Amino acid sequence: MTRLKLRSDVALVLTCVGLFVAAAAQVRTSQGTALYVAVATVSAPVISTANAIVAAARAYALGRQDLEAVLAELGRLRREGTQLRLTNHVLTAEVAMMRQASRLLAAFPDLGEGSVLGRVVARDILGSRSLIVDRGRRDGVQLDAPVLGEGGVLGRIDRVTDNSARVQLLSHPAAAMAARLTEVPGEGLLVGGDQPRLTGFPPYTKIPTEAVVLTTGSEGIYPPGLVVGTTGEARNEGLFTLVPVILTANPAETATVLILRALPGAPR
Amino acid sequence: MTALVIGLAATALVQLGLQAVQVWWILGSCRPVLLVVLAASRRLSPVQVAWLGLVAGLLTDVLADRVLGPGGIAGAVAGSLVAAVERRLELQGPMFWVGGALTAAAVFDLVWRLLVAALGASPDHGWLGTLASTVTTTSLALLVALAERGWGAWRAPERRRRRALKQA
Repeated sequence: MTRLKLRSDVALVLTCVGLFVAAAAQVRTSQGTALYVAVATVSAPVISTANAIVAAARAYALGRQDLEAVLAELGRLRREGTQLRLTNHVLTAEVAMMRQASRLLAAFPDLGEGSVLGRVVARDILGSRSLIVDRGRRDGVQLDAPVLGEGGVLGRIDRVTDNSARVQLLSHPAAAMAARLTEVPGEGLLVGGDQPRLTGFPPYTKIPTEAVVLTTGSEGIYPPGLVVGTTGEARNEGLFTLVPVILTANPAETATVLILRALPGAPR
Repeated sequence: MTALVIGLAATALVQLGLQAVQVWWILGSCRPVLLVVLAASRRLSPVQVAWLGLVAGLLTDVLADRVLGPGGIAGAVAGSLVAAVERRLELQGPMFWVGGALTAAAVFDLVWRLLVAALGASPDHGWLGTLASTVTTTSLALLVALAERGWGAWRAPERRRRRALKQA
């Protein structure tokens, strides 16, 4: 029996080549979600612990400030004041979240039926350009469901588990949607990236700056007429007029989102 | 070996925790697992560091729900390069951490982008994400360097002697 002996560096190179081939195979076939579900299950307690630690640290800092102020004024009221401030801090955060949810529902009254309000539990805005919300399949969240923030469209659901879902933001390089402008006839394609842009308009089309960008629904995912953003300064590039788009929904300040029912014709 | 496994597991948990909503959102792009690879480059050979980088990169792929593979290869490249740079420039102290983390994070993300482009797929973040990942990972390395310096000062024989003299 022959025994194969490999040098460590050669084995490393071979492993890398094998990984590349395996990655190519994964790109060309549909990915399984079992690993994602496992990671989501493991990460849920870690994320909630991190949230609890930061919340506790903030509460501690607030409590210390209270302590100094109350000690300066009246020692007897120290404990009561600290407790009240802590409660107030928690309630203020809750009320702010409820207000945002209420404004969200008021902004989109026609879309309320079948929609789900979700709370953002994690976000990676610059990395994987996604948000994690605390609503999942059990709450009726479906793949490709449009997700709205207070300012307008945030993105769509690209992963769902039983209790959570991942939102692919419009700034994701792979994001795309059909969109139109209020002041210009015709339809364009909005593509994501560091600077989302609208393309598909004929060259030398006059596009006003700060014109409102709306969804058209042609791609079968987003309902028509939703606000996406406003236009920047357009320029000609190749055969099209390229329009930079400033998105109106800010994921960094979004705590509550409205998840709409996925359209029947949405690609799954 | 056990310390490396514990380090990788702990930093993976930190990487997940930094994406929690209560944490400042910029920190979500930080890659603390790369710091384990960097720390290992002091004791391990470049090839061993590359193997560790491969494991760390695969871990990052799993945590970010990406295609498995490019992260591993990028980690191996970043690990071997960091080990080579550290030996060539004889980096020590804060320069080791800051220079090493900067190299590791930048090389990791750039190689990953290159591999994803070679596979014909689109990356899940743009250049801004690469910049954020590099800056946050380097900042974390600076904190580690400060902590290491503080720990060294605390355990220094000079401090013990000063304390003994004071007590006497």
